[in-house]
Amino acid sequence: MKSVRIWFHKFGTAKYISHLDLNRCVARAFHKAKLPMWYTEGFNPHAFVTFALPLSLGVEGKHESMDIRLLEEMPKEEIIRRLNDALPKDIRVYDVTEPKMKPGKIAYADYEIRYAADDRDPQELKKALEKLFAKDEILVEKKTKSGIKTLNLNDYLDKYKMTVADNEVVLNIVLPAGSTENVNPSLIGEAIKTYLGYSLFAVIIRSYLYDAEFHIFA
Amino acid sequence: MDLAAIFATELRKTMNQKIERILANVQKPGRYVGGELNAVIKDKADIDVRFAFCFPDVYEVGMSHLGMKILYSVLNEQPDIWCERVFAPWVDMEEEMRKHDIPLFALESGDSVAEFDFIGFTLQYELSYTNILNMLNLAGIPIKAQDRTDLFHIVAAGGPCACNPEPLADFVDLFFIGEGEQVDLEVIRLYQACKKAGKSKREFLQEAAQIEGVYVPSLYTVSYHDDGTIKEMIPHAAAPKTIRKRLELDMDQAYFPDKFVVPSIEIVHDRAVAEVQRGCIRGCRFCQAGFIYRPVREKSIDMINRQCRSICEHTGYDEISLSSLSTSDYSQIEELLETLLSWTDNEKISVSLPSLRVDGFSNELMDKLKTVRRSGLTFAPEAGTQRLRDVINKNVTDEELMKTVQTAFEGGWTTIKLYFMIGLPTETMEDVAGIAHLGQQVVEAYYSNPKRAKGRSVKVTCSASSFVPKPFTPFQWEPQDSIETLHKKQQHLIGSVHSKKLTCNWHDADTSFLEGVFARGDRRLGKVLEQAFEHGCKFDGWSDFFSLPKWLEVFEKCGIDPTFYNQRRRSFDEVLPWDHIDYGIKKSFLKRECEKAYQNVTTPNCQEACSACGATCFQGGICVEKR
Ligand code: SF4
Ligand code: SF4
Repeated sequence: MKSVRIWFHKFGTAKYISHLDLNRCVARAFHKAKLPMWYTEGFNPHAFVTFALPLSLGVEGKHESMDIRLLEEMPKEEIIRRLNDALPKDIRVYDVTEPKMKPGKIAYADYEIRYAADDRDPQELKKALEKLFAKDEILVEKKTKSGIKTLNLNDYLDKYKMTVADNEVVLNIVLPAGSTENVNPSLIGEAIKTYLGYSLFAVIIRSYLYDAEFHIFA
Repeated sequence: MDLAAIFATELRKTMNQKIERILANVQKPGRYVGGELNAVIKDKADIDVRFAFCFPDVYEVGMSHLGMKILYSVLNEQPDIWCERVFAPWVDMEEEMRKHDIPLFALESGDSVAEFDFIGFTLQYELSYTNILNMLNLAGIPIKAQDRTDLFHIVAAGGPCACNPEPLADFVDLFFIGEGEQVDLEVIRLYQACKKAGKSKREFLQEAAQIEGVYVPSLYTVSYHDDGTIKEMIPHAAAPKTIRKRLELDMDQAYFPDKFVVPSIEIVHDRAVAEVQRGCIRGCRFCQAGFIYRPVREKSIDMINRQCRSICEHTGYDEISLSSLSTSDYSQIEELLETLLSWTDNEKISVSLPSLRVDGFSNELMDKLKTVRRSGLTFAPEAGTQRLRDVINKNVTDEELMKTVQTAFEGGWTTIKLYFMIGLPTETMEDVAGIAHLGQQVVEAYYSNPKRAKGRSVKVTCSASSFVPKPFTPFQWEPQDSIETLHKKQQHLIGSVHSKKLTCNWHDADTSFLEGVFARGDRRLGKVLEQAFEHGCKFDGWSDFFSLPKWLEVFEKCGIDPTFYNQRRRSFDEVLPWDHIDYGIKKSFLKRECEKAYQNVTTPNCQEACSACGATCFQGGICVEKR
């Protein structure tokens, strides 16, 4: 038995597939692709799949991954072809590798957030955001399993870059991600709304995942 | 494809930007984006006719519907036609759409429904009618047929409720009566020809009315007696006096898709579906489907088997549901199951039946059937006493029920669900109490069965819906129980329960009231529907939205008494609003069945004997095969 890591992009219409639905989707895709998968035993056998880290609804993923176990070797191109034949059009498998890092090691993720300036001047918007980010205290409410927690976003704003492209302000930011601490990038939008009163349309893309030492998850 | 390219350009194009912007504000955005496996995307440059297949309910409900999957594939097989799916947006989405001026759109292209040649609705239940008007309005299309004057925006409708199309006569240009696979295409081809020839909409509709199975309501006028009943229905422009339904006679030749669109989000019934037969051999007297789909026509095992394989291969589904009105009546059900199970087991696919009569099956076979295992056993005696079951021609005896549940208990089942109706013709309080007694008997049967699962308790649920008299049934002349009477009966039912192992519940009587009005309504109800839509009535089938007081206000305003339609006993010689629609079933047969009901006399099913209902006119199915 061999563990393999399947890499895919999740974008466009597929970003509206929740993590729970994604589980169902890939299970069906594996079934259709007829890969030599290892199935769990028991009354209701199912393919064994673990995702590196769930992606929030509405967020696009550039380098998403899931691990499966294969009973036999299969060429990587064949796996890619079969899965892409079986998945919704905006989930595209692009690579299959041997897992190098355990998902439990994931500590950070970097995001590209593209805020639409719409009828605002993008340079002005950028300035306003920078001013907000410079505040000592940017309080937002975060829903957790144990209730609502207040978070100071300023604690997480040490690694970011902001640029203007076309009519958008593009924010590249690294945020804690993983099982110990996870900060949802949409909280920044919440903060903008609370402090500046702007409801900005944002495209959020998760690019890479990292461990605590900033090695790229592979 | 290069990663950077995907994220820079391709991705921005996959969705309509305007739509995407509002999705952040709604629940379950996955309902509105399309992009599913097997969704059909075409190049508009190749397309001559665009068909919007509209399901007047939310995505999760509509996507579970088999008829939609069939017609979607039939039309999309044609290179010059593009059929897309449209569902009713949930209220949060509708609000956003109206706020941001986004018209109703189709999932495949994201284009406004106003760009389509045909806007086709499927009529599955009467309580979806307001959604139809709301959807047209959201698309920016005039809701009334007379206000759509060009040969474009042809609003069509089909499905079981089209058997009484009259309440929708003001809004729909043409109805497909019966099964739509062939007639849809014929009408589209005629439309193309008329367009080419520069004909008017009226000319097109007049020609369409000549196609068998097409009903054009604007070509008929109705006159009424002083008492409000119909005097006459007069056809114009050479439209036929009666419109006969279309049907597929040879189910092995009937079109069936080799793949389904596979939803990416969870829907109500998410699995492969095989259609094993159409129609039903039993003539339960309350059941409209049992009459309008006559005669029963079976598919061969070989064909079903091939279709199941194809669907599973193209979708990845791991469950096949064998669908039909009464699958356990399929004449070779055991052989069919064995054929399927010979390969499904290996491929980790389970087979389920929507309903099951257990008596005929071996325990071994039952073990392999999934649904039964998972959700407990269901059984539909429909009425609580033998007398009333004879009235409705539900040929199930107490002994049969007991035998079935005993087998089930021995097989390890402990959850039994029984379905009933209250408000049936001739029903007394004794019959109502009989529902609880029957449930009680099942509980007792469990404890007296020595082979039951040890150490577990039994759970019996009796679920009672309210009977609604429907067209094309022997009860089409019957009055429906008033809401007060239904409430009294519900109270009596709950008062008759004397065990904690037995639960009785019922459906809302208010919605049945409205269903009853529209089921047997005429075209004068058009103004009620229009008013109701303007008052914001929508999703009437959803208890979160349905408001009877609001509807009663609308009736009052329109000067229409709803009880004229649902609570009045009609005489046998009254002209009924659907008399010009011909499902092959003779009115004289229905009358005879009604009289037999009042004498507690049953009628054999089509397998046992032919009762000359009239369906032989189609010259196919069981009417000729068996005889
Ligand atoms: S068995 Fe009776 S209730 Fe069921 S579909 Fe047939 S006629 Fe209708
Ligand atoms: S004509 Fe006879 S066999 Fe055919 S559907 Fe009617 S009752 Fe059944």
